[in-house]
Amino acid sequence: MIRLPSVDATDERAESADPEAESAEPDERREAVVAGFAEEFGEQLVGSHIEPDREVWVRVAADAWRAAGEYARHHLRCRYFEFLAAIDWMPSPFGRSMDAEVDNAAKEPEPAAVQATPRNTGATGGETRFQVFARVAHVHDHDYWGVVLKADVGDGPDDLTIDSWVPVYAGANWHEREAWEMYGIEFTGHPGLRHLYLPSGFEGRPLRKDFPLLPRIVKPWPGIVDVEAMPGEETDVVKGDDRSSDEADQPEDSDQ
Amino acid sequence: MTALTDSQKLAYVASQAADARVNVELETEGMTLNIGPQHPATHGTLRIIVRLDGELVAGADPVMGYMHRGYEKLTEVRSYPQITTLINRIDWLGSFANEVPFILAAEQLMEIEAPVRARWIRTILHEMSRIANVTLFLGDMGVQLGALTPVFFAFRDREHVLNQIEAVTGGRFHPNFDRIGGLKDDLPKGWIADTKQTMERVRTFCDEVEDLLMGNEIFEARTRGIGIIPPDVGLQFGLSGANIRASGIDWDLRRDNNIGLAYDELDWKVWTHPDGDSFARYWVRLQETREATKIIDQLCDGLPSGPVMAKVPRIIKVPAGEAHVCTENPLGEMAYYLVSQGDLVPFRVKIKSASFNNLSITPWLLKGVYVPDVITILASLYFILGDLDR
Amino acid sequence: MGLGLVESGRFPKPLTKLLNMSRKYSLWVYQWGLACCAIEMGAAFGSPRYDVMRLGVIPFPASPRQADLVVISGTVTDKMAPPIKRLYEQMPSPKYVISMGSCANCGGPYWDSYSVTKGIDQILPVDVYVPGCPPRPEALLEGIVMLQERIQNEDMAERWRGDPIVVG
Repeated sequence: MIRLPSVDATDERAESADPEAESAEPDERREAVVAGFAEEFGEQLVGSHIEPDREVWVRVAADAWRAAGEYARHHLRCRYFEFLAAIDWMPSPFGRSMDAEVDNAAKEPEPAAVQATPRNTGATGGETRFQVFARVAHVHDHDYWGVVLKADVGDGPDDLTIDSWVPVYAGANWHEREAWEMYGIEFTGHPGLRHLYLPSGFEGRPLRKDFPLLPRIVKPWPGIVDVEAMPGEETDVVKGDDRSSDEADQPEDSDQ
Repeated sequence: MTALTDSQKLAYVASQAADARVNVELETEGMTLNIGPQHPATHGTLRIIVRLDGELVAGADPVMGYMHRGYEKLTEVRSYPQITTLINRIDWLGSFANEVPFILAAEQLMEIEAPVRARWIRTILHEMSRIANVTLFLGDMGVQLGALTPVFFAFRDREHVLNQIEAVTGGRFHPNFDRIGGLKDDLPKGWIADTKQTMERVRTFCDEVEDLLMGNEIFEARTRGIGIIPPDVGLQFGLSGANIRASGIDWDLRRDNNIGLAYDELDWKVWTHPDGDSFARYWVRLQETREATKIIDQLCDGLPSGPVMAKVPRIIKVPAGEAHVCTENPLGEMAYYLVSQGDLVPFRVKIKSASFNNLSITPWLLKGVYVPDVITILASLYFILGDLDR
Repeated sequence: MGLGLVESGRFPKPLTKLLNMSRKYSLWVYQWGLACCAIEMGAAFGSPRYDVMRLGVIPFPASPRQADLVVISGTVTDKMAPPIKRLYEQMPSPKYVISMGSCANCGGPYWDSYSVTKGIDQILPVDVYVPGCPPRPEALLEGIVMLQERIQNEDMAERWRGDPIVVG
């Protein structure tokens, strides 16, 4: 069984979700949002995804990032700025080393294969390692809905630039400082990118996947030593002293 | 940006003068005042560097991160049940409310739904954490204005609510009670009757605080017309919860986007206030506390029977996907954007906490106010440092 | 008065006892509330239910320069550590430190974080550790009582050689 991210897993999920989407009522409002973006941005709209009655994702080209924000604010009346953040799609180079050895023993140890598998890059996909995403929402007239906007950023880890949203939503200021601090993404047009949380001498970009948590390397995590039996479970699981038998159970359980 | 108030226009002029250090008539020099990082008014460890021109604030720059614990990184190396323990400590006054959106997001990806009874009890505890959180604000606002009595009342009556939470969850502060697929346990015996009594106490507390503060000349003078947030400015800074409802935006996620909780089946009201000043924010929170007691009463009356836990695998693995769930928490909108790769641990969790957005307006809002009003405005915006820095 | 005498080791025992007793029942405590524990500390010090003043602890000094005891309650981050150190240095000696809560004791649930100091004892000498996440107000009160016992039996000259107390 493949445990680690793979494209196939998502595709299956998307296919299985499709019949549901057809049987359910089509989400007209969210489809209208996507249609609006398609009309406004044409080819710059790279991808979109709708989960009926839940969420809509719109991915635009990096050039259209600020314009997408302006469109959402002025045309869709998404006045409420919720958050702006970034994500690093690189699988953690530490693999499962962040976990304890007892956990690793239960897995197929193939870190090399992990690196080779294509990345699963979320609802609307993504070509670059880093992405920014933001969510804005319409909150008026007892009618709440939001849209998640995404854009790919940069080519390499050292050249990450994208337009700032501060001229569109003033509240993006701190969020972009956070994204800059945590990922090193430069926002052009931002009034002052400086450290938000960390002391000014801090080195490294903590939320990048290749940033190691040193205490975990110095002193490994003892492992998931205690698995609580769920109250709904019929068979009360009594953990034996023998760890290995417990680990052997693990794959079966996860298949349920 | 929309129209500025007169005081903000004045502040703009003042800031220009302070920046240039040139005043044709009288040479004045700006002063920098450092509030914090340990100051009673900041509820913990926030530092605000204020540039003053006389008594007017020409610019304010909050320096945060004194409570930054790196949640978003830590969630990437913790399994889902471990994360529940961790996120309790984001907004430490309303801990249970932090768990709810995260669990709901994980349930959404796993396509599990909690049983009805579990959802009702979740709603009860969610509202209880609102009371446990906001009562302290109702008392603390008085402290910032020199009135010490309300905070003692708040601590006194808050204990009763904490007792009720402790009776169910075993923890006064950090219940860690919510599970993917339901709740850890059912309610203890006799809890419903005790809760109703407690709600009666909380209502009495609200009346007492209202008697003490509302109509008090000092309180009114220090809060009315101070720190006005226009609705559009508030929205683009991402204010949520009572802060934006006090600016007249009729938006409550419990009503407009109720996911997985029982609010739809109850009779309650969203309170708004048109003024947008410190007083309005206090007033809205006071009414919301009362409303929360009514919600809990109704929930206790109509509590359905049944199991509190759905069937879930023993080892929690969340399928690959992205989910965003937001709920109306005591401080405002709290959202988790959960990205899973089908592993034991999440791939990325973006924690959108209410205080971060609520406080991000301060550089704009504090411009042009007088120094003592800085304290009341900060108190009325109501933030928890753990929620701000995460 | 007697500080010079104490240092020279010529301090009469009954007088030490008297001095220690008066010191232990007039502890001015500076509250360094940092995180969740700050609220429990507030409940212990500020709420009528726990009423810390009955133990002879005075919880609201105007500044650390007036304080005998500091309660470090909550998560200490690397950014916060220097101000804590600085304020501790401003307190007059003899001074005592209570570390309240797992975070201040050892990093607690943030033991692997990149920004949290793993224990306040890396920067200050701690007299009493109060475990818990957060400790109940009663636990803090017990910590204070244990500190008072320690003060009562204290030979001032040996103050700094003592080991920390752990509340069971």
